[in-house]
Amino acid sequence: MRAAARWTRAHLRAHRPAAVLIVLATAGITISLLLATALFAYATDPWQRVFTQSSGAHVWIHTQAGTPAGSLAALDEVRAASGPFPTVRATASLQPGGARATLELRGTSRRPATAAPQVVAGRWLDERADAGSTRGIVLDASVAHAIWAKPGDSLALSGFTAPLRVVGIADSAEVPFRAGETPGVGWVLPRTLAASDAGQDQHGRTIGLRLGNPADTDYVVQRAVTRLGADQITDVSTWRQARADAAGDNSLLARLLGLFGLGALFAAALAVGGAISSRIRGHLRDISVLKAIGFTPGQVVRMFLALHLGFALLGVTLGALVTQFLGPLAPGRIGDATAVWRQLPEHTWLPLAICGGVVAFIGSATCLTAWRAGRVPPVPVARAAAPTAGRPSALTRRALGLKIPPALVLGWRGAFHRPLRSSAAVARLAVPLLLITIALGAWTTVDRFTARPESVGLAAALTARSDTLDDPAVRQLLAGQHRLTAYPGAEVQALVPGQTGTITLRGLGTLARPYPLAVAEGHAARGPDEAVAGQGLLELLDAHVGDWVRMTVAGRPHVLHIVGRSIETADAGRVISTTLDTLRDGDTATPTPQPPRPDFYNLVLHHGTDPAAVRDALTKASGGRLEVRQVPNPADQLSTVRAVAAGLIAVLTLIGLAELATTVGATVRDRGRDLLALRAVGLTPRQITAVIVSATAFVTLAAALAGTVLGVLASRWLIDLQGAASGWGTGIAQRPAFGVLALVIALAVTVSAAASALPAARAARRRLADSASAVL
Amino acid sequence: MNRDEPSGPILRAAGLVKTHRPEGAAPVHAVRGVDLTVARGEFVAVTGPSGAGKSTLLHLLGGLDRPDSGALWVDGRQVDTYSEARWAELRRHHIGIVFQFFNLVSNLSVADNVELPALLAGRSPRQARTDRTELLDELGLTGKENCTPGELSGGEQQRVALARALVNSPSLLLADEPAGSLDSKGTREVLRLLARFHRRGQTILLVTHDARIASAADRVISFFDGRVRDDAHLGSAPDRPAAGVSDVLKLKG
Amino acid sequence: MRLPLLALLVGGPAHGYELKQALENLLGAAYPQPNVGQIYVTLNRLEKAALIEGEDVEQSDRPNKRIYRITDAGRETVDAWFEETTAEPRVRDEFFMKLALAPHTGTADQITLINKQRRQYLNTMRDLSKLAASEDRDNRVAQLLIEGAMLHLQADLDWLERCQEELE
Repeated sequence: MRAAARWTRAHLRAHRPAAVLIVLATAGITISLLLATALFAYATDPWQRVFTQSSGAHVWIHTQAGTPAGSLAALDEVRAASGPFPTVRATASLQPGGARATLELRGTSRRPATAAPQVVAGRWLDERADAGSTRGIVLDASVAHAIWAKPGDSLALSGFTAPLRVVGIADSAEVPFRAGETPGVGWVLPRTLAASDAGQDQHGRTIGLRLGNPADTDYVVQRAVTRLGADQITDVSTWRQARADAAGDNSLLARLLGLFGLGALFAAALAVGGAISSRIRGHLRDISVLKAIGFTPGQVVRMFLALHLGFALLGVTLGALVTQFLGPLAPGRIGDATAVWRQLPEHTWLPLAICGGVVAFIGSATCLTAWRAGRVPPVPVARAAAPTAGRPSALTRRALGLKIPPALVLGWRGAFHRPLRSSAAVARLAVPLLLITIALGAWTTVDRFTARPESVGLAAALTARSDTLDDPAVRQLLAGQHRLTAYPGAEVQALVPGQTGTITLRGLGTLARPYPLAVAEGHAARGPDEAVAGQGLLELLDAHVGDWVRMTVAGRPHVLHIVGRSIETADAGRVISTTLDTLRDGDTATPTPQPPRPDFYNLVLHHGTDPAAVRDALTKASGGRLEVRQVPNPADQLSTVRAVAAGLIAVLTLIGLAELATTVGATVRDRGRDLLALRAVGLTPRQITAVIVSATAFVTLAAALAGTVLGVLASRWLIDLQGAASGWGTGIAQRPAFGVLALVIALAVTVSAAASALPAARAARRRLADSASAVL
Repeated sequence: MNRDEPSGPILRAAGLVKTHRPEGAAPVHAVRGVDLTVARGEFVAVTGPSGAGKSTLLHLLGGLDRPDSGALWVDGRQVDTYSEARWAELRRHHIGIVFQFFNLVSNLSVADNVELPALLAGRSPRQARTDRTELLDELGLTGKENCTPGELSGGEQQRVALARALVNSPSLLLADEPAGSLDSKGTREVLRLLARFHRRGQTILLVTHDARIASAADRVISFFDGRVRDDAHLGSAPDRPAAGVSDVLKLKG
Repeated sequence: MRLPLLALLVGGPAHGYELKQALENLLGAAYPQPNVGQIYVTLNRLEKAALIEGEDVEQSDRPNKRIYRITDAGRETVDAWFEETTAEPRVRDEFFMKLALAPHTGTADQITLINKQRRQYLNTMRDLSKLAASEDRDNRVAQLLIEGAMLHLQADLDWLERCQEELE
């Protein structure tokens, strides 16, 4: 034990910079993983984030106007209360005749401390500015989105003579606005509330309760009802409802992020394992000497294990502490994410799990190499006896004859003459590059959603529908706009045999003017009764392209021939699209030569047109009677993928650099042994440096090529997998541009050449006497 | 330096065989059936041309390599079946090894290098330090305790290696070409030191191709092509003419 | 023996006993002890060859000493001796003769011969080592002589190994 401690202490003293580097690298990896997890939590569960950030209320109780709702704050389980606020119900619309929404106006002078609305656009209410002639209102984000309000807009409210100005949009963790079911929330100053001339039955009171233990929710609701009386309470909502309603389809995102995280961890483990094994390989002679002195193999293994586990623990602890205390100070989203993450419930055990995971990974990597170190023979064999040189291959001789600089040729030979060892080095370096390429692939795929939405089934940015205007008027209005093409469409819910739920049957475009669907297999509907189905639907019906399916719409049967598969992002791909003619064919009782009447028009905008501008123009032109809505684009949800991909690329670059350092060290050591031979051949020190640098560069080049090629293939496969699983369908993957890949490869090779230049130069100039002892 | 142990040969080998099988080349029969006995206090030299397998024999005797067949007894214990771990423990207490290329741990100081086996054997750091100081003084290395091996000359490094091998008062000292990397001055030093320790009773077995070193031993074993060819005790022939020296120095005229 | 004596006389006249002392002091104990009779015989021969000239000196209570002085011819001989190089590989070797002839006799075994010779050389080496240890460290000439002998012995032993290789 003492001997092991003595050796370890001396070893550390002699290799101080390397030890520090390892600890820092481990800390860096830990920090990256912790930050990545924070971002993950931040991105995939926005409701939780908002709830935590705003100190959300677990229970919202809406009562009549005179009810003493404030007494609920005195309950034992209640930690803090938001309100009680006086409320007034009102109907709001941006313009008279525009989309209407029911609002619950809450009067509050200051931003409440509990359930504090998080302002995302504009500002909060200001006592002086928003109580004068123009009254201000802050809208909840869900209702603002539904009626397309933004700061600066004028909101016409029932019960108010003058329109209110929207001064800000805020996120809250309450049940989101749903037309006809849940009113949206708008905050106003109490004076504004007083100015409303709504009837007494529109007045009410709302209080939000933040509990000490979320599990007490039901109990508190019961106590509230008993205390206030069931007749006083108009509505109760809980955080569970809010969470359920807010949860979007984040599974895709969550899965992607999870995959990325695992990939990064795997790459990190490989890198650290490689670094450790390389270091141990550099100490083989010392190990055999130790064994000759009398260290047992078990002792040697335990020494190395303890040493490197110590490094790992130190690095992980350092990384965790830095993240804990300096994380929230980081700029931008990362800082927010870390600050929020600290308050999330999983925060107690998740960082520990991550740290433990890193240590476990490093430990297992070390175990393998330590075990191999234990098997080193105690005989200090001269390493020169190992077969380093064979006869130069015909290729080498020819290359030398062609006057290619000998440094390059020798570097090539040096890099690849031991196929097993060099392929292991190439593989270890290729993994981070492969993952980087996958991340780039994800990025470009998300870009595809925003840059070329028509290729992923989102050709139309807007839909236009009207209840009051008739079809020719609508068509006229649409024709008045220049930068769009309008396709008539209708959508019905259909029943299919064997399914309890309904599927969506859409008719878009006509046979004369077919709608531009993104068809991945087969072809678009060209003739009558032909349809194109989404992946989700094909899976649901267990059908394939070319099958005939039967469905019932409002009692009438439709038989359709599936001639193609399209990429459908709506409704988990359970959509079947045909032309409007086919859809209406089954409807009309009398075959009339009239064109079929559409329910809505899908507006495909010309490239570069701003949907908001078109929407405003159309609304103005139609006087508010044409309802124009934006088609939801999953890219909005997936925008976090870009941030995550960028972060992941940064982490992987770090890991790649660590791998590179290991490879450089190993190459320098291996080539350094041939130093004497190279000098004897007649190479100058500069040429010897060039040999070492080119050897490293070749290995990196091979790794970069392998990594990018495999990465492109893997990225496509993974994204297709995700697409198939989510029902959108395969074929959404977009590989990164060749230029970008070439840049990645060039960067990797340049960095490796640069990183190896200095150690190579130092190795080439080593005194012969040193290199002789280094041989053994 | 002898221990109070049962009498009997310190080393006995019977039928040791070892064949190296390097990859891609023909197998090398390094040791072909060697029988050997070394008594306590003997100074044995094994000579022979390079490549004859002398080093392999030494590695087998020191447990650094495992024989393909044959039996080996060290200090009365049968050791050819020992695992690597048990061999390591045996080496700690009973066998000291000196190599041609010194084989000091490069990032330990001289003091640490010498104390390491003592600490391994279980002695306290203070005791180890005392032993180390004593030995280094004996070998003329006082003042070099904190140097690293890289700062020492070849002769000094070999003396440190000798100190390391002897710090645990081993029953057997094995040396593989101890002066192979040294100049003539260093060789003389090593010889002198070996002779000194031998006089105190240390059993030494060394492998060398240098005749001067071999002649310093009591007993010279000629090793040729994996087998023992001759086993001679030097200085025991009574009929050696005193003028044997002059035979070598014949002058003309 | 002739030329070393001549060379000693270049330094100045001396008589036989002085020359013997000088030789011993110069070469040390490694060199075979010069025989006094042999010295006088050699001196006689040198005188007859007119390389030195002798002169008797009267002594009161002892027989006359003869002091020798070198002549010009002697000086020339010494110069010529220093000029020429000593070159002759040692091909006349009794041991090799024995080794080569052993198979023909059928009674002697080559390996045994080699082993015996090796033991001899090793013992000689041992004695040389002892000599070197006992000889005065500062007598560089003597030490060099001994070292030269050791190197020759090493070469002989290496040659023995070669013989053994070839004959196996």
